[in-house]
Amino acid sequence: MHKIILAGEHSLLIYFGHKIDPNLPKNIASFSEQLIAKFPNLIIDLTPSYTSLLVSYNLNLTTYQSFAKQVEQCLNAFEYKSNHVASTLLSIPVYYGFETGLDLERLLTEKQLDLNAFIDIHSSVEYLVYAIGFSPVFAFLGEVDSRIRAPRLATPRIKIPAGYVGVAQSQTAIYPTDSSGGWNIIGRTPIDLSLNNPSNIDKFKTGDRVKFYPINKNEYIKHGGKL
Amino acid sequence: MSFKVIKSGFLATIQDYGRFDHAKHGMSRCGVMDEHAYSWANYLLNNAFDDAVLEITFGAVELEAQLDVLIVVTGADLDFKINHKSAAIWHSIQIHKGDTLSWNSPKSGIRTYLAVKNGFDAKVLFGSKSVNLREHISTKISQGKTLDYTESFDTRERLIPIQYIPNYNKDITLRLLPSYQFNEFSVSQRDLFFNQTYQITNDSDRTGCRLQGAPIDLKQTKMISEGMSYGSVEITTNGLPIILLKDAPTIGGYPKIGTVFSLDLAKLAQKQPNDHLRFELININEAQEERVVFNQFFNIKH
Repeated sequence: MHKIILAGEHSLLIYFGHKIDPNLPKNIASFSEQLIAKFPNLIIDLTPSYTSLLVSYNLNLTTYQSFAKQVEQCLNAFEYKSNHVASTLLSIPVYYGFETGLDLERLLTEKQLDLNAFIDIHSSVEYLVYAIGFSPVFAFLGEVDSRIRAPRLATPRIKIPAGYVGVAQSQTAIYPTDSSGGWNIIGRTPIDLSLNNPSNIDKFKTGDRVKFYPINKNEYIKHGGKL
Repeated sequence: MSFKVIKSGFLATIQDYGRFDHAKHGMSRCGVMDEHAYSWANYLLNNAFDDAVLEITFGAVELEAQLDVLIVVTGADLDFKINHKSAAIWHSIQIHKGDTLSWNSPKSGIRTYLAVKNGFDAKVLFGSKSVNLREHISTKISQGKTLDYTESFDTRERLIPIQYIPNYNKDITLRLLPSYQFNEFSVSQRDLFFNQTYQITNDSDRTGCRLQGAPIDLKQTKMISEGMSYGSVEITTNGLPIILLKDAPTIGGYPKIGTVFSLDLAKLAQKQPNDHLRFELININEAQEERVVFNQFFNIKH
């Protein structure tokens, strides 16, 4: 089921499956921990994603051939768990208003939903953190209800300010810092997810769960939200 | 108090060997673009392999020393001058308080490294002093600000034998490891990739080197995002390659035809838009051996 391939002169990529599966993120996270515990000196960096784990190793101490063999042995002994026992649930407040939801009005028309129904659909789901990437603290969350899915914008926006919440197909995410991006913007969180607060680096971990809760304009402003 | 920035140039940032163990947080590797020139700079000062330097791209920088310091400049020839007189590069030089260092425009290569004895004292953020503008981690140098170092003095000169100084004007062939989705590209598309000369485009930067050429045809254009190695070569929807460099995002969803050997990426770091390059294959054994020899010589720990 798993497969190891070469990724670079000091990195290999492990595939744990061929398609996106909610059971994978937690298993990949737990396999990562096992690898670090087993090879503390060899591992330089780990990049988990939806179905894979990129492992960078210390080329001065091992080779691709011998390390891949060791990783293969660990994989063979690894026990996949189908239920996530311990997984953190994070609650993120969002103001879903037309001032902050830049694409909200268009989506409501396209999906033939009223604002309350849209908010309810987006905020009633517990999303799984499938991957962190694109930029620091940017968590890819899934899966978005099919009633509010929408493709990425044909032309990405040059600047999306920090805190904006977006949807792209089956995924939703929060932009932690100002950046360019093509997701449909549906709201904004007042909480600071930027690295101005260095402890945010660990805010999301693959396998964690995230739930959004709607707040009104007054609460949003009270918590430091900008319009 | 150390170097005062008189002119900040196009792009000059503090960089070190890179930011490790934060890929899981979505952070780029960062670090110097030309590991070869950087490693020589630290070597000639007896510095640690990962001490922080100033990476100057294209020049137009002027600094004024406010303390004595031993320096080395390596990498591109950007018309380096001390007190407005041409000065040697790949060579340790004692600088005195009040001296000015300046870089004008590229004569050969585009990135030069200024190293000081014991490295620059910059703030360590997430395990590294490297600046990443895309991730808003610290900033480029700016006029009036200072670059801090510890005072040093040493009359012994160290230099590298002239035959080891690279000629950055030479055309380059990047050696590619057959990694990632290499086998999923058809033989004819791989032939097209290896048999053509690509041109570096204008929108290349520390994140990626974008190439212009005959497009590669893809069977599968979209895939599940996965971790990207330094030097991996994405083939984007339009069939054109992007070589992922130090500030690249950690994960991405385009198929990758292979990974460029790191020491060839050092050569690529000195190339500019409109320069040409080709690819050829290297196997993992050769790449590992060559890199380990390099690591041992410069005492690089990982």
